[in-house]
Amino acid sequence: MELGLDVRKVDSHAIVDVKGEIDVYTAPKLREKLIELVSEGSYDVIVNLEGVDFLDSTGLGVLVGALKRVKAHDGSLALVCTQDKILKIFKITGLTKVFPIHDTVEAASGAAT
Amino acid sequence: MPSVELQIPALSPYVGVVRLALAALARGAGLDEEKVDDLKIAVSEACSRAVLAGEAEDPGSPVSVTWTDEADRIVIEIADRSGEPSEPTGSDNSLSFSSRAVMSEALLRSLVDGYESTTAPDGTRTTRLLINR
Repeated sequence: MELGLDVRKVDSHAIVDVKGEIDVYTAPKLREKLIELVSEGSYDVIVNLEGVDFLDSTGLGVLVGALKRVKAHDGSLALVCTQDKILKIFKITGLTKVFPIHDTVEAASGAAT
Repeated sequence: MPSVELQIPALSPYVGVVRLALAALARGAGLDEEKVDDLKIAVSEACSRAVLAGEAEDPGSPVSVTWTDEADRIVIEIADRSGEPSEPTGSDNSLSFSSRAVMSEALLRSLVDGYESTTAPDGTRTTRLLINR
């Protein structure tokens, strides 16, 4: 099981396109990538979950940890997701109130500036 | 009643194997895709907890997963030898509202029709998930 992580920079945003399954095995890779971005000075991060097939609490924990890191630098962490099965996880755990969740990367980058 | 038992080491790469196998069993038992998705998350939560506790205390200790197809419901039992969870309190877990364990519990309670976790005197913890047809 592989987790695809592609990072691109658009204006002041770092966009992470995630593909595959985020679980207890792959979540550490996502955590490392997000820590790396913050340590490089990228404090406005968009995590694109459109290519994600599976997400559980270990992935949510990584996203919450990343949110805390960017907030410590007055940054932002927005998510892109339109898949009902993934949005459901954010709703059940109350995280729709914690993360801005957008339909497209463009909407996320526009809202975050 | 058909029953299937899988045993994995309490190591993170094997959680995906359980998810894959149980999703196939669920589809074979006629559950719709939404129930299959919910089951995959619930199973993953229960196995992750066993793996996180097992990796900390006894790496590779066995986790057994039993699938039983009863007439009106599916029963899944995940048994491990880790006792109560003792997750590290790293920075990612320090938000009390959204710690991983709290989120995991919320998902388990929401996504299946029945959920209980018991620990036997010998330290075997069993998480039982019920999915109604």
